[in-house]
Amino acid sequence: MFISGIGIIFTRGRGIDCFENALTQGWIDPSWTDSFPAYRVTKETLSDTNLSKKIRRADKFSKMAALSAFDAYKDSGMTLNNNDEKLGIILSTAFGPHTTTFSFIDDILDYGDANVSPTKFSNSVHNAAASYISTMLDSRGPTITLADFSYPFQNALLLADSWLKEKRCNHVLCGCVDELSTVMEYACKIKLKAAEDGKIRPFMFSDFPVSVLGEGSVFFMLSEKRCKNNYAEVAEISFSWELKKNPDIIIIDADGMAGDETGYKNYSNKGLPITGYSPVFGSMMIGSAFNFAAACLIFKNQLVYRCPVSDNSSSVNSYFLTKEANVNEINCIRICGSEKISIINIKK
Amino acid sequence: MMEEAKKMDLADIRKLLKELLIESLSLEDIAPADIADDEILFGEGLGLDSLDAVEIVVLLQRNFGLEVKDMKEGKEIFYSIDTLSKYVYENTRDHP
Repeated sequence: MFISGIGIIFTRGRGIDCFENALTQGWIDPSWTDSFPAYRVTKETLSDTNLSKKIRRADKFSKMAALSAFDAYKDSGMTLNNNDEKLGIILSTAFGPHTTTFSFIDDILDYGDANVSPTKFSNSVHNAAASYISTMLDSRGPTITLADFSYPFQNALLLADSWLKEKRCNHVLCGCVDELSTVMEYACKIKLKAAEDGKIRPFMFSDFPVSVLGEGSVFFMLSEKRCKNNYAEVAEISFSWELKKNPDIIIIDADGMAGDETGYKNYSNKGLPITGYSPVFGSMMIGSAFNFAAACLIFKNQLVYRCPVSDNSSSVNSYFLTKEANVNEINCIRICGSEKISIINIKK
Repeated sequence: MMEEAKKMDLADIRKLLKELLIESLSLEDIAPADIADDEILFGEGLGLDSLDAVEIVVLLQRNFGLEVKDMKEGKEIFYSIDTLSKYVYENTRDHP
């Protein structure tokens, strides 16, 4: 399947151009709350006068999803017919709209079950965000939400691939969204090690790596056939340790969020250049989708962006300067814990 | 809020209701001053719909302890900021 459009919302703004600028710019200091660093999406980023009526009732989670999905659709240059049944929508998430869910539960405790907001209830449902997208685009195709902690993006890609292969859809808007909340920050303060200087270090290869929480959404327009606006082709999604072919670059999802990262060291000994862009957007269980977007830009521009943090204590072969390169194949690797792995093989 | 509302005059209640509507109904592009006191809230006016009506019922209960159970009655109460604020004003006074 082919990638024909990208829409993205992250801490530095909205749009694929904004993401490209961030990759060029490199690391910037996160925002700090009580000595806790995080890459947050601002309210201004989610302001859109053209779409505000259609997503008035949406919470932050759904707004991030809806706006990035809309941007991916626009970026693809497609014009879908009204009531299009051949556009599928797959939204994947690790934690879902938990800010609204917890707020809804708080309201039951504070006001009783007869006095809770119906809008808050509808937004607390995992599938709300995907429904906003289908309503906004007037799509009548299959729409689904996946929830998975380890491989939310990889599983979404696999499902999109099967929908396209069985001709259920001609195109699939496939993406991931996750949000930050005080509950999430509290849980991460206890379970993870926050980077004291605000820098995620992808090349630490540590069993207890540092993290800086992030939030955002990224969507891709995936098509059965190569389209006019083509970024790259997804050749294979596997769950084995074997590298796919001989990639020109390996992108690792090391961000301190999924525990032990020593497994990534296996790939640093192969002599292939390794990079990872998590310091740009933050630690997220859906970070694979953002690194995948970076891979798409590398193909499109034939430009390898420098690793955002220059720390190279493990002496890996990486890019510490952005430079032009002839890139035909990339492997995006995500390791969760000591045993689980996924590799997405992407081709020019 | 309920005790404070008892001391408010009609103008203060109007102002408060406009602020509460904007917050509860996520009317982000609208300022309190943009809502005229006699502007129709539903349909052609401010453009609110049935789900907003349920939100207003919740808003009245939470902030003023007022329960609107009969939606026929609600239709008259929710007509405009004027009718809504009169309802709140009249039903939050301490009656002898």
